[in-house]
Amino acid sequence: MAQQWYEPFNFTEWLKRAFSFLNIAVLIITAMFVFSEFRFDWFEKMAGSYLASTNELRPQIGPIWEKGKQTSNAHQYLNAIISKKEKTQKNVRKAASFSDLASSILPGEWVTLESREFKALYLSLQRAAALKVIEPAQLVWLLNNDTLDRIFCEGTQKGINIYFIDDQNRVIKKIELANADISSLETGVKPIDGHLSDMPEFQGRIYRANDFFKALFTLPKDIIPDLISHPEVLLRQDGKITHVGIWNESKNGYIRLGFELETNGVTQVIFVNGREWAVWQLSLNLKGNSN
Amino acid sequence: MIRFCLFFLLVIASIGCLSGMFVIFYIENDLPQLPSPLSRIIETPQSQVFAANGQVLITLGERKSIPLNMVSQDFINAILAIEDHRFYDHHGMNKLRTLKALYITLFKPGKVQGASTITQQLAKNMFFSFEKTYQRKLKEMLVAFQIETSNTKKEILHAYINQIHFGAGAQGIEKAAQVFFGKSALDLNLSEAALLAGLPKSPTNYNPYHYYDRALKRRNIVLTRMHQTGFITKLAAEQAMQSKPSLYKARSDSRTGSYFLDALIRNLVAEYGEGVVYYGGIKVFSTLDPRLQNHAEVSIRTGLEKLDALMGIDDTQTVRPQGALVAIDTGSGAVKAMVGGRDYYKSEFNRAMNSRRQPGSGFKPFLYYAAFKNLGFHPATVMTDKPVSVKIKGTKDWRPRNFSKTFSGDMVLKQALIRSVNTIAAQLVEKTGPDAVTAVARICGIKSPLKDVYSVALGTSTVSPFEMASAYSVFATLGTRHDPFLFWRIEDAFGRIIFERFVQEKRVLDTATAYQVVDMMKSVIDQGSGRVIRKMGFDRPAAGKTGTSDNYNDAWFTGFTPTLSTSVWTGFDKKRTLIDQRKKGITGGRVAAPIWADFMRKALKSDPERDFPIPDHIRFETVDVQTGCNPEEDGKENENKVVISVSLKSEQQLCGDEGQ
Repeated sequence: MAQQWYEPFNFTEWLKRAFSFLNIAVLIITAMFVFSEFRFDWFEKMAGSYLASTNELRPQIGPIWEKGKQTSNAHQYLNAIISKKEKTQKNVRKAASFSDLASSILPGEWVTLESREFKALYLSLQRAAALKVIEPAQLVWLLNNDTLDRIFCEGTQKGINIYFIDDQNRVIKKIELANADISSLETGVKPIDGHLSDMPEFQGRIYRANDFFKALFTLPKDIIPDLISHPEVLLRQDGKITHVGIWNESKNGYIRLGFELETNGVTQVIFVNGREWAVWQLSLNLKGNSN
Repeated sequence: MIRFCLFFLLVIASIGCLSGMFVIFYIENDLPQLPSPLSRIIETPQSQVFAANGQVLITLGERKSIPLNMVSQDFINAILAIEDHRFYDHHGMNKLRTLKALYITLFKPGKVQGASTITQQLAKNMFFSFEKTYQRKLKEMLVAFQIETSNTKKEILHAYINQIHFGAGAQGIEKAAQVFFGKSALDLNLSEAALLAGLPKSPTNYNPYHYYDRALKRRNIVLTRMHQTGFITKLAAEQAMQSKPSLYKARSDSRTGSYFLDALIRNLVAEYGEGVVYYGGIKVFSTLDPRLQNHAEVSIRTGLEKLDALMGIDDTQTVRPQGALVAIDTGSGAVKAMVGGRDYYKSEFNRAMNSRRQPGSGFKPFLYYAAFKNLGFHPATVMTDKPVSVKIKGTKDWRPRNFSKTFSGDMVLKQALIRSVNTIAAQLVEKTGPDAVTAVARICGIKSPLKDVYSVALGTSTVSPFEMASAYSVFATLGTRHDPFLFWRIEDAFGRIIFERFVQEKRVLDTATAYQVVDMMKSVIDQGSGRVIRKMGFDRPAAGKTGTSDNYNDAWFTGFTPTLSTSVWTGFDKKRTLIDQRKKGITGGRVAAPIWADFMRKALKSDPERDFPIPDHIRFETVDVQTGCNPEEDGKENENKVVISVSLKSEQQLCGDEGQ
């Protein structure tokens, strides 16, 4: 049965009601609630514990994680560079030929070659092809040179560059091998279709074959092997030599000679290197004849 | 009624708890994960830059965490007193302060009261932006609770003092102690510790380098607070207030402090990105020679002080002339020293690399080389110093004048370069064409845009000292070019090579012709506009050329020995003439050449003396300066004949009619 609420009619009644058991209990509970929070930080601790329990499920966000990610990204980037290089280095170690070497190194990549690795690649070439890379005597000198520190190989758009480096990081010798040169090193010298007269490098230095050989045989006998050091390259060809041209610049002590061949109505040109000084001797003879 | 109020309070408290829990569940997924331990991701590997002698020049991206026992107790007390004196009593939140702050925020508009505990500040600095929102504040508080639950007070304080920002780029107490006082955090005294503890509130406003008095006032507040909270006695506080800590002069902040390093870092960032440079832990082996760098800085400083005195400029004037110096190893292209201005901390602008100024006559060696190579001229070719007017299509004639404003008549080209005769240079460029001059400058490595005008030969196109030092080094090697560079090698943290530099030579100039120009430039130092160098006691074989731009805005000297090429520039940043107190223009020979000589003398002190090698087919002849003929054979009798030694190629003849 509901009691009719009435206003306390005197002060004693007010006090009685204010300090009733229920009121005091509620007050004590509230006070304990607030006091215990201030004293024991139970809310913070509960919240903190709960959040700690879910820590692993939350995202790694915020400036400090970003910096951590930058570090991790930087390491990944550096590791990618290193592993790419190591992979290239591994492929280079397996290379059995200059073609393998060139195909292992992409443009912009570089590796260090051991002297013995380079020596093995060099010795795998036929003598005529090896001469195109570097003269054997020069290689012997480089490899026996105390200052040679390492051999460095760099991929380029055109092929590969090989650097012989001293202990001061200076390039002692640089060999540039174009892709076309590399394939000819492996496959041997092959004629290409065309005329000497179409090649600007031979302009003004194209001679009829008869005139060329006549001038050649006026040279002392010991010079001729230096001029055409690998006659087998020419002897292997089926066609007839009609013209011979002399290249307008020398490279590594050699000057390129172009032999124009007529084979079943097809004109082709085959290149052979002659020693620079021997070719100059021949040029003088040829000029003398033409005068 | 009372019961109702009490119930109401209890209900409110319960609702508060429930809503608190609801909020936690609601925003929990937006809260960041905490690392364990806290300091794990505070530390990042440092990238280091080494000098050529192996000395560490700078450590980049360093976030070195130091243990609490390596920090001055005064600093720990000071930071606790000023930031959170109840740190050891709360669990991430100071409730009374928070309620007070809430009251002030709600009922006293315009007033702000901070209540963040050290734990909350740590949470904010590690995980949140500086955006001021209630939600961010709430998240920060929750993360602080978790930090308190998962870590000891010692661990929290350790993380806090190692990541706190003190301004001037200093993060962490160790860095701050080094930046502001040049000492370790352990060695901070009470006054210094209190000053540093006052900075985090507003690192910019209290930066002691800019606002020393303000920083001292803040320090005094910290000291008072330390006394109030019982960390120090009143006497100790008062004594500390009397002291004025001296700031570390050598380094006013965490900037590199070096023009060379700025240039190097910019290079690295362009190549590998900021992440790799600052967070990759790489090792960069630079070309810088600390001994030469030190000499360069001293030479520039003393040279510019002399220039100030010459111009009547005192320390109080804010606009003072600047200077730059670059020294390059001619045999490799390695940059050995670089100074980009008189005071890095006042101006970081690198005048050695990024400032392009008119080199004046410093460009003439390129012209003379072009004339020798293209026209067959040689040092004994005779030309006439006379008024010159060069017709230029579509504009008025070009009438270059000599600095002396006089004309001397006939003279050999060597003499013309020694005396820096502009009219003869103008006649030469008219014959070679400006494109021939710019072509020589280009193959020597000048990359700045060059105008295709006659006056380019007199140095009217702007270039940097870096370019000039590099281009002149091609003459030093008699025609072999080495591109300049700032580092040799880069390794990752494990010593694996990321990049390695090889020195490649490119022959770009004819050796004998280059030697002829070098021989003429040697005489510039021995008897020409650079003779002050000999007066200063620099007696090694060296060659060079002064340069002074029109109206004396720029004064240069670029010169070289066979091993070191150095360019010195002086002038104002803004267009302003270099004039002395007698209103006379200051030339490169008066200001830049002495700096060059001072530097080179000290830089090469321990190196053996070497002369430039004389190429094959070069012979020396003594000729009459006026006729270019052998003085005994030219048939003219004159007792006052002035003779000069010239270098000629074997096929070149004297008394020819070239150039007449």
